Amino acid sequence: MEEIGKVPHWILHFGNYQMVFDKETLIMTWIVMAFWVLFALLATRETKIIPNPLQSAAELLIGTWDELVKDSLNLTDRRYFPFVTTVFLLFWISNMLGVIPFLSEPTKDLNTPLSLGVMGFFVAHYSGIKFKGFKAYIKGYFEPIFFMMPLNIIGELAKVVSISFRLFGNIMGGSIIILVVSYLVYSLVLPPFLNAFFGLFVGTIQAFVFAMLTLVYISVQIR
Amino acid sequence: MDVASYARAGQYLGAGLAMGFGAIGAALGEGMTGGFTNRAISRRISMTPALTRTMLVAQAVAETSAIFALMVAILLLFTDMAEQGPCAWAAAIGAGLSIGLGSFGSGIGSGYPGAEATWGVSRQPAVAPQMTTNMLVSQAVCQTPAIFALVISFLLMFMDYSKDPMWPYSAALLGAGLSMGIGAIGSGWGGGETGGAACKAFARHPRTKTSMMTLMLVGQAVGQTPSIFSLMVAFILIFSNYSGQQLTLHSTMAPLAAGICMGFGALGPGYGNGLTSTKACEALGMRPQNSGLIMRTMLVAQAVAQSTAIYALVIAFVLIFVV
Repeated sequence: MEEIGKVPHWILHFGNYQMVFDKETLIMTWIVMAFWVLFALLATRETKIIPNPLQSAAELLIGTWDELVKDSLNLTDRRYFPFVTTVFLLFWISNMLGVIPFLSEPTKDLNTPLSLGVMGFFVAHYSGIKFKGFKAYIKGYFEPIFFMMPLNIIGELAKVVSISFRLFGNIMGGSIIILVVSYLVYSLVLPPFLNAFFGLFVGTIQAFVFAMLTLVYISVQIR
Repeated sequence: MDVASYARAGQYLGAGLAMGFGAIGAALGEGMTGGFTNRAISRRISMTPALTRTMLVAQAVAETSAIFALMVAILLLFTDMAEQGPCAWAAAIGAGLSIGLGSFGSGIGSGYPGAEATWGVSRQPAVAPQMTTNMLVSQAVCQTPAIFALVISFLLMFMDYSKDPMWPYSAALLGAGLSMGIGAIGSGWGGGETGGAACKAFARHPRTKTSMMTLMLVGQAVGQTPSIFSLMVAFILIFSNYSGQQLTLHSTMAPLAAGICMGFGALGPGYGNGLTSTKACEALGMRPQNSGLIMRTMLVAQAVAQSTAIYALVIAFVLIFVV
């Protein structure tokens, strides 16, 4: 049970200041990135009218997200499509990584979802200022009445907290449950099913929810 | 009495609370699924095997939250928390409250998708496989608050507090359990109703598949925001450091009050958000062409309904950090 709450660290020293890196999260994130780079290279190596299986998988994935982004934003160009799809792809494989022995989910570390949540927050608000104009953007905070302003700001910040804690709580909760149940049943029978449920099923749903909410926050801002 | 005796007493009480409260929700949800299946079978008697299968799958998933409670109760009964120091009794009771109350909403909530899915399959037999997918996805999302509650329970049970004095840490640990336990009820229940409405609307209009799934997931996810506030307050209460403080009655009461404030403060908004997305899913089933408008209206309404949870969050933060 001692695994709960233990984090391996890399510490870099810059004079008096030190930077702490979570070793496991970093390596696992690089594995996810390597996976997608490899997938993209293999899928686009020989593109044909009649696609090979890998190419049709990539087309299905990209095409679905293209439709989703188009439906919710109603823009003529594809400027938000790469960002939203990348968020989904990154978290999708990240959440499923724990199924493979000796690997663990980088999303189990709050820093991963929080950084992408903050990124989505800035993208959404920058788009809001750009599409509506600075004045209309600021005016949005004073609705319905002017003294609601502080609560509106807290509400916006709470979106970042809720989007990142949702993913983090689900993935960390899943991995803790798998750990405790494996300990209780001496790793017999149950763990594969739990891995399938939390890793593959819940992981896919939560990655989709994260990307979809990022998209929704952008679409709320630009309207 | 010595510390070990206190810890054991807390563990027994926590186990009772966990399983007692934890048995309520799942059973209610499963009963509802069973009742609707009976109705569905009487409507389309030739589909009895398929409907029974759907019902059993739905009930098995709805049982999850009760199994969480059972697991915590067994762990509380058969582990020894005495070496975790003088706060162990509060940690044990908090763990029991967290998963006991927290599994209530998710249990009853995951009955709704099962009920509406069987009823929908009997109405629209051709969509049965997709209906099962829709039902399982909504039930899985609906379990999220119970998973949060389980995380808090495990943290309370397995963390080491042996260096901390009994007060005010005990109050903080009890508060963490209450915050997460009560806060998970509304979101779980509301999310379940949303999933049920999505299954119903999908049976009415099978072509809305993708937009219905998207609307349902976004609605449930936003509806979980209050329970995420509860999770955050519980985390802060568990990990905060009170060592510099003087021991007085009011410094002890503040963390407990923060937990109660956030717990009850998240109950209403969680269920209210669920009602909003429930009606949004029904509306999408009637007018699929308005999906963009429905989603936007739902999000605005949920943001307003959520403001009371934000008030509670602000007061909880004041209680933890300022007072």
